[in-house]
Amino acid sequence: MLFSIFALQFSDKMIETKLGEFEEVLLLLAGILGQQAYAFKVAEEFQAQTARPVSIGAVHSTLTRLQEKGFLSSAMGQATAERGGRRKRIYTITAAGQRALEVARDFRVSLWNQYPAFATKLN
Amino acid sequence: MTNHPSPPKLAQQILLGFLRQDLAEEVLGDLNEQFYATLHASSPFRARLHYWYQVFNYLRPFAIRKSKSAPSNHHGMFRNDFKIAWRILSKQKMYSFIKIGGFALGIAACLLIALFIRDELGYDLHYSNGDRIYRVLKEYNDNGELGTGVDFAAPFAKALKAEFPDVEQAGRLLPHPSFGAGSNLIRRADQTENAYEEGFAYLDQETLQILQVPMVHGDPAHALDEPNTIVLSRRKATKYFADDNPVGKLMVVNDNQDRLYRIGGVMEDFPAASHLHYDFLLSLTGVEFWPGEQTNWPANNYHTYVRLRPGADAARLEANLPAIKKKYIVPGLLEAGYQDAAKMEMSLKFNLQPVGDIHLKSNGITDRLSHGDIRFVWLFGAVAGFILLLAGINFINLSTARSANRAKEVGLRKVVGSFRRHLIRQFLTESLLFSFLSFGLGIGLAWLLLPYFNVLSAKSLTFPWREWWLLPLLVLAATAIGILAGLYPSFYLSAFQPIQVLKGNLSRGSKSSTLRSGLVVFQFTTSIVLIVGTLVIHRQMGYILHKKVGFDKDQVLLIQGANSLGGKVNTFKQELLRLPRVQHVSVSEYLPIKGTNRDRNPFWKEGRTAEDKPVGGQMWVVDHDYIKTMGMQVVAGRDFSLQMPTDSQAVIINQKMAEELGLENPVGQRITNKGAIWPVIGVVEDFHFESLKENITPLVLVIGQSPSIVSVKVKTVDMAGLIQSVTGVWKQVAPHQPIRYTFLDEGYAAMYEDVQRMGRVFTSFAVLAIIVAGLGLFALSAFMVEQRRKEISIRLVLGASGYSIFGLLTQNFLKLVLLSLVLAVPMAWYGMQKWLEDFVYRIEIGWDVFLLAGLMAVLIAILTISYQSIRAALMNPVKSLRSE
Repeated sequence: MLFSIFALQFSDKMIETKLGEFEEVLLLLAGILGQQAYAFKVAEEFQAQTARPVSIGAVHSTLTRLQEKGFLSSAMGQATAERGGRRKRIYTITAAGQRALEVARDFRVSLWNQYPAFATKLN
Repeated sequence: MTNHPSPPKLAQQILLGFLRQDLAEEVLGDLNEQFYATLHASSPFRARLHYWYQVFNYLRPFAIRKSKSAPSNHHGMFRNDFKIAWRILSKQKMYSFIKIGGFALGIAACLLIALFIRDELGYDLHYSNGDRIYRVLKEYNDNGELGTGVDFAAPFAKALKAEFPDVEQAGRLLPHPSFGAGSNLIRRADQTENAYEEGFAYLDQETLQILQVPMVHGDPAHALDEPNTIVLSRRKATKYFADDNPVGKLMVVNDNQDRLYRIGGVMEDFPAASHLHYDFLLSLTGVEFWPGEQTNWPANNYHTYVRLRPGADAARLEANLPAIKKKYIVPGLLEAGYQDAAKMEMSLKFNLQPVGDIHLKSNGITDRLSHGDIRFVWLFGAVAGFILLLAGINFINLSTARSANRAKEVGLRKVVGSFRRHLIRQFLTESLLFSFLSFGLGIGLAWLLLPYFNVLSAKSLTFPWREWWLLPLLVLAATAIGILAGLYPSFYLSAFQPIQVLKGNLSRGSKSSTLRSGLVVFQFTTSIVLIVGTLVIHRQMGYILHKKVGFDKDQVLLIQGANSLGGKVNTFKQELLRLPRVQHVSVSEYLPIKGTNRDRNPFWKEGRTAEDKPVGGQMWVVDHDYIKTMGMQVVAGRDFSLQMPTDSQAVIINQKMAEELGLENPVGQRITNKGAIWPVIGVVEDFHFESLKENITPLVLVIGQSPSIVSVKVKTVDMAGLIQSVTGVWKQVAPHQPIRYTFLDEGYAAMYEDVQRMGRVFTSFAVLAIIVAGLGLFALSAFMVEQRRKEISIRLVLGASGYSIFGLLTQNFLKLVLLSLVLAVPMAWYGMQKWLEDFVYRIEIGWDVFLLAGLMAVLIAILTISYQSIRAALMNPVKSLRSE
């Protein structure tokens, strides 16, 4: 117990609220998938959309991290037969997650706008 | 289901092996879904392979179980135990200090004594085949006088080797100063300045090999096999020849140019833990001190060492040794004119003493070596054990005494679910913490005290820091002692019933008062025994120093090494006599103190050599002023006189000699040692010339030359000034030689160094034991006062006087101390009586010794308790009563 309390305090202080690229994509995918946003599905969707291979472990790890940052919340969902009767963990975007995505998008847009070569082509 | 592929079981198991338990469900589910998805898309093999891939991709920090999650609970408990122990330690500073301080004292004493014992037991272990090396001993019965000696006839060693095939080598050692061993003047042959050196001995080449003396230079097998060769120790070789190899160089001993010694080798210095310590080994090859000496059987002067063949049975050889009597000794004695040789040798027995036993097990053997004593080793060990026990008792006493304070804690812990096992562990942790702190402190203390202890024990001990076993041993000892001392308190304290404790029914720590009282009695008994021991030893020492010994040892200056003056010794004597405050001067190296010359001879009444048994006695060569200088009393006849030229052929005997020879009126009678016949002109009062541990033996004084010591009887208050004038005279006579002087009373006191040392050791330990016991009593009384605070307050309120409160608190402890006294008296009496039996001349242990020891113990106890008692008696009762 002592250790985990300690660890929590540690991460509270040091939480990074910026989004990395992979994190941003996963967060968006979780939003897109809605009630189907669990690690396996997110990984599958990621591969489908980006054509980049990724392991469920890597996705799971990132989802957990996003949850620690407060961008995602999670709850256990229902079980299915092909899961061997095991429940899945459904991730839902939080308000903070939404805001972080908006900040990230606005930042990109502002960068795009500042770049004369692209600025006109946009919109 | 057989043809229905499922995820690989092994991969699942591995995954479950490392995965956090709370993640197991979702992850396994996800991987299952993935598996079937892959299965749909491709082959079962790919699906399985992919499953494995996914499993390994879960080896990520977030998913891996904290491997120590289960033991960390234990760890936490230990941390908690430790924390509680530390808090208790710092909360009760006084108790903790007494516990740790007392324990540390005990441990320091134990460590020092352990070092001492280790050193004592480590003697003569450096020989590679030490189990085959023996010193030959003989047990004799000299007209009812039993003794063990090491001196044998010159041909004895050779006879041993010739007679017994089991004897591989036999060699001799001659350490007696009368033969030129001991101390001498020495110089390089190419220099003129003499130096005074000690540590000379004559050795056979074989002895050198038996004792495996390691050589720095020269051939160990031939270093001493030629006549007039000498072996130097490394330090002396360095002194005389710096770093050169001196083998083959020449040395001059005692300015004797006719006999130059050639250096046959340089040996390593004898190790400190060796029974022998010589610096100059002179060869016995070709040496003959008088014509026929080397084949003479009656004269016994040589120490004999043997090395047996591998596999030889020492006990069997020992049993066969008497054969040598019949074949060699008896014929040898008969040849020398001893008709009753067979009878003389009848009682003689030979023993082989293992070389490793020489240091500690030579009690009662006269061999001119300084020995340890196995009894001292035992005594020291016992004392160390006792002091540790006392400190341990304090520990137990204080732990259980404070049970009332801890009872609520124990009760509450039990109520919230602690098992007894956990409580025991907690108390043991506490005791271990104390033990380790005490050990740390004790080691520091021992290290600080080591120099003083070295002075006390006449040793040069050091801590064996570099030995690999030291640290583990100390840690082991600290753990063992911590657990042992903590065992009783932890079982005692953890046994409290929570319901009783929390109801407040606990009998306030008085439950184990019998045991506690017992422990206090034990402590004080030990202390009183040690006090009595100290008092008796000091009294015996006082008795020794102030006993009338038959000569006047005060104000006698001894000038050593006067033999180097040669013929000028008489001039020196005459010059000294001219000094105003010099009363008498005598030239004789036979003095009634240890370390001077001795010469044992057989004596008979004239004409009775065939009929009577010989009387063994000393024959001392003195000059005409000897008796006056020594302040001895002539009880019959007269002193030697220069006016009577015939006195140079006459003797003065002591009373003991007269008695043993059966001379009613000795003056005018004649006695003989077979060599000469002397008339007795006087009888001198018996004086002690050996330690008071021994009886006075017969003695004869004859006139002759024995020039190495000049005794000067003076009468002055300004000894320093006088020594200056004596030095001035010496400088005139011998300008190139340093003067060396001592005092007769110092020499006399030096004979009893071991007694004095024993006295100091006992004093130190007695003080230590008393401190430890006192600390314990102090803490116990503090505790008692604390427990009875309310009772005392009520008594005070009801009108009790401070005096009666003091009495109330003190009398219980005093009873215990008095009980200790009763127990200690017989033990101390018996022990000290045994010790005194070593002395022929000794004090009686009077009742006053016990009275004094008892008074001291009672006084110490009262002083210790009174601080707390008086504080209790003077306190304001309101303070402790108002809270209720």
